[in-house]
Amino acid sequence: MSSNPALNEARDTFFAESREMLQVIEDTLLALESNAADDETINALFRAAHTIKGSAGLFDFERIVRFTHVVESVLQRVRDGAIRLLPPLVSLLLVCGDQIAALLAEAEADTLAKSPAPHPNTDAHGAELVAQLNDYLAPAAAGGALLRTADPIAEPVPAAHGGVASEHWHISVRFGPDVLRNGMDPLSFVRYLGSLGRLISVSTVFDGMPDAATMDPETCYLGFEIALMTDADRQTIADAFEFVRDDCALRILPPHSKLAEYVQLIAAMPEDDIRLGELLVRSGSLTEAELAAGLSAQGQRRVPGEAPPQLGEILLGQQSVEAPVLNAALDKQLRVRERVAQESRFVRVRADKLDQLINLVGELVVASAGVNLRALALKDAALQEATASLTHLVEQIRDDALQLRMVQLAETFNRFNRIVRDTARELGKEIELQIEGGDTELDKTMVEKLADPLMHLVRNAIDHGIEAPEVRAAAGKPRCGTLTLAACHDSGSIVITVRDDGAGLSRERLLKKGIERGLVAPGDQLSDSEVFNLIFAPGFSTAQTVTELSGRGVGMDVVKRNIQALRGVVSLGSEPGRGTTVTMRLPLTLAIIDGFLVGVAGAMFVVPQELVIECIEAPALDLQQDYLNLRGEVLPFLRLDQMLGSVGEPVATRNTRRSSVVVVRTGSGKAGLLVDSLHGEFHTVIKPLGKLFQNIRGVSDATILGNGEVALVLDVSALVGSAATRLQGGTVPAHGSRALAQAV
Amino acid sequence: MSALTQTAPARLQAGESGETSRQYLAFMLGGELYAVEILRIKEIIEYGALTTVPMMPSFVRGVINLRGSVLPVIDLQARFGRAPTQVAKRTCIVIVEIHSDAEDAASQSQTIGVMVDAVNEVVEINANQIEPPPSFGVKIRPDFIAGMGKLGKQFVILLELDKVLSVDEMASLAVQSASAPAAEQALLERNAGD
Repeated sequence: MSSNPALNEARDTFFAESREMLQVIEDTLLALESNAADDETINALFRAAHTIKGSAGLFDFERIVRFTHVVESVLQRVRDGAIRLLPPLVSLLLVCGDQIAALLAEAEADTLAKSPAPHPNTDAHGAELVAQLNDYLAPAAAGGALLRTADPIAEPVPAAHGGVASEHWHISVRFGPDVLRNGMDPLSFVRYLGSLGRLISVSTVFDGMPDAATMDPETCYLGFEIALMTDADRQTIADAFEFVRDDCALRILPPHSKLAEYVQLIAAMPEDDIRLGELLVRSGSLTEAELAAGLSAQGQRRVPGEAPPQLGEILLGQQSVEAPVLNAALDKQLRVRERVAQESRFVRVRADKLDQLINLVGELVVASAGVNLRALALKDAALQEATASLTHLVEQIRDDALQLRMVQLAETFNRFNRIVRDTARELGKEIELQIEGGDTELDKTMVEKLADPLMHLVRNAIDHGIEAPEVRAAAGKPRCGTLTLAACHDSGSIVITVRDDGAGLSRERLLKKGIERGLVAPGDQLSDSEVFNLIFAPGFSTAQTVTELSGRGVGMDVVKRNIQALRGVVSLGSEPGRGTTVTMRLPLTLAIIDGFLVGVAGAMFVVPQELVIECIEAPALDLQQDYLNLRGEVLPFLRLDQMLGSVGEPVATRNTRRSSVVVVRTGSGKAGLLVDSLHGEFHTVIKPLGKLFQNIRGVSDATILGNGEVALVLDVSALVGSAATRLQGGTVPAHGSRALAQAV
Repeated sequence: MSALTQTAPARLQAGESGETSRQYLAFMLGGELYAVEILRIKEIIEYGALTTVPMMPSFVRGVINLRGSVLPVIDLQARFGRAPTQVAKRTCIVIVEIHSDAEDAASQSQTIGVMVDAVNEVVEINANQIEPPPSFGVKIRPDFIAGMGKLGKQFVILLELDKVLSVDEMASLAVQSASAPAAEQALLERNAGD
C-alpha cells in the first residue's frame, strides 16, 4: 500500500488538506468568540471536521477517525441546536483541534517510518479530551428519543408492506474504472464502512473483469455487495463513498426494504440477474424464497433497465427520504463541487521544483548580464538591441518567477490570533489583535523564517508590553490592550511592525541595565534610539520577573540575528505610557537582489540597492577626518579600501583616482562609503558563502558577475557597526563594545 | 594536467594483497610531496579568477566561481603556518569534498578548493606501505597527518583532509583574526599612518 505512489501522493494531499481544514476550524472558532454563531459558520465547522474524519478513514488512520468522530458528534449537536457554542466549548474545541493536529503529525511520522509507534502521551491527552467532550454528548441519551424522531431516515422501515426479513443495510457498489487511477483504494471504503458498524458479509463482484490478456491493471473492475449492521443513517453510509461519488454506482437499501427495491437493484446493476440474486442471498440480505418471489415478479413488470442512476436519483427513488434531507444532500454536493472548482484555480507545486526554477532563472539573469557586457564591448548596434530586448524579457521572467514564491502575510499573521488569545488569557490580560496589510506579499522562505522572530515579539508585547486590565484602567487607558501586526511595502522592501499600546520601555531602566551589563559607559550620552536598541544586545532583559513566556533575555538578540540573516534591519521605538513599536525592514526576496556595484581597491563589491540613497563625488578629503558635509548634514563615512583590508592593489594607488561616496541608509541614519569607482545597478543572484565565512563581519553573501568573477555583497550595517566598535574601543570593555556594535 | 593522464602503473592486486590498496593524488607543496585520497577529489582546475575575501586569515585565499557555486580556496602552505603560496605556472586548485566533524552534520559535505604548487600523479599505496606519522620531525600539526606513505625510497605525507580543512576550526580562526585586538590595532595604525 505504501509503495503505491499515487496513494502516497493522495496521502500527502490528505495531510496538507487536513491541516488547512484544522486552520479553518481554528479561524472559525476564534471568529465565533467575537461574533454570534450563525448556521453557516457552524456548518463550516462541522464540514471541516467531517472531511478530516472521512479522509482519515480512507487512509486507515484509525486514531484520527476515532477522535475526530467524537468532535464531530459534539459539533453535530451544536448544529442541531441541542447545545450552544459557549466560550468553554470553544476553548475545548480549540484544544481538540490541536489534538487532531498532533494525531496528524504522528500519523505522518508513522507513515514515513513505515511502522506505527505508540504515542502514549497523545493517547492519554486524547482520552481526557474525549471525556470532556462526552460531557457535551451525555445529555443526548436523554434527548435521544427526540432526536431519533427528528431524523427519519435512521428509522428502520417496518418489516410490513412487503419488506424483507433481513435487519441490516444492504449496500451495492460498483466502482468506476478510474477509481484506482484517482488514487483511491476500494478496500478503504469497505474498511471505513466497517467502522460504522458490523460488516455481516462482503461479496466481491468481479464479473466485469476481462481475460488476463486484455485486463488493464490500472483499471478498476470491482464491485461489492455488502451487508452492514449499523445504527448509522443513510446519509452517513452514503458519505463513506463521498470521494468516489461521481465515479461509482451506489445503491443503499435500508433494513426491511421492500422486496421490489431489491428487484429494482438487481435490474439496475449491470451483472446477470441470477448471479446477482445469488450474491444477495449469500450476503444474507435476501432469503432464497424472497429472491425467487422477486425474480418472478420481475418477469411480469419489467423495471426499465436504466443506466446506473446518480445518487440523487437513488435517494429520490426511496420513499424513506424526506425532501429536506435530499435538499441538504444535494446542497452539500453542490458545495463540494464549488470547492473543487475553486481548487482548480490553484496548482499545488512542490517547493523544490519551484526553487529549482528560480535557481535557473537566477543563472539566466547572470548569463544575460554576461551577454549584455559582451554586446556592449563589441559595439554592434543590432546585437545590443537584441540583447536589450532579451534582458527585458529575462527581467520579466525573473519577476514572474519570484512572484510564484510570494505568499500573503495574512496566513502568518492570522496564526497569531490564537496565540494572542491563549497567552492573554493565561496572563489574565485583555488583548485584541489587529492585523493591517495582511495582503502584503513576501517570499515564502522569508515568511517561514519570520515566524519565529514574530512569535518572540508578539509574546514580548503581550507579556511585558501590555499591562493588566486594572493597571490600564488606572492609567486612563481602555482595559483591552491592542496589539497590531502590520505590513506594508516601502520602496522595494517590506516593512513589518509589531505595535502595542502598552506601558512602553523605560529609558532609565534600560540605561541602568546597560551600564550594569557594561554595554554603556556611565558617562555616555545616548540618543533615545540608541538606548532602546540596547534591548537587542545578547542576554539583555529588562523584565523584572522571568515568566514562562519571555523575559529570559534570550529573545531580542535572537530576533535581531534572525532578521539580519534575512538581510533585514530591525529597530525599536517606544514612548513611555503609549506603547512600543518594533519595526522590521526586509528585502522582498532572498534569492535575487538589486545590487549596486562599486569598485574598491581593484575589487568589486555589491551594496544592496535598497540601502543606497545617493552617490556623490568625494570632495577633497582631509585624511584625518572620516566625515563630510552633505548639504549641511554631517555624514560619517567609511574608507572601504581600508576596512576591507588587504584586498587587491596597494592603497598607494588609490589617490590617483577620482573616488566617490555612496550614501547608504543604516539602522538609524545615513552613512557614506568611500569607494574608488561606481559601476551602477546590477541584478544579483545571491550565492551563499558557506559555513567557513559565517563569522565574517561586513560581507554577507557572494554573487557572480557577468564575467564569471565572484563579487562580495557588503553587509553595510555590520561594517558601520564595526567602525563604531573601533571608535569606542578605548573607553568600553571589548565584549561590551561588540554587543553595542551589534545593537547599532 | 598532463601529469594526471600518466596515471599510476596498473598494479591492481586487490585480490592478493588485501582490500587496502588505495589510490592517492600526489602533489607538491613548498618542495615537499603530499598526497590525499583520490576519492575525496572532485576535480583539478587552473589557478585564476580568484576573489579575495577581506578580514579572513591568510590561509583563506579567497573564493572562486565553479560553475555557478561560490567555493572558498584554502592556501595549504599558509594553513600549515608557513608563508603563503606564491602563484606560479603550475599552481592548481584541487577541488575536494570535506565532511563535517559533527555527527549530526554528517550528511552535509562541503566543497573546498585547495591551492597546491603542482599536481604530480595518481599513486597507489598499499596499507602495509603506510607508516604512522613520526612524533616529531614533520613540521606540520600531527593531527593533520593520516600517515607516511612509502613510495619507492621516498616518503609522501598523507593528509587528513577533514582535519586540515575542518570548516569549524577554520571559521573559528577567522573570527579570531577578525576581532583580535592585534588586527584592529593594525587597522588603526594603518589609518593613522595613511
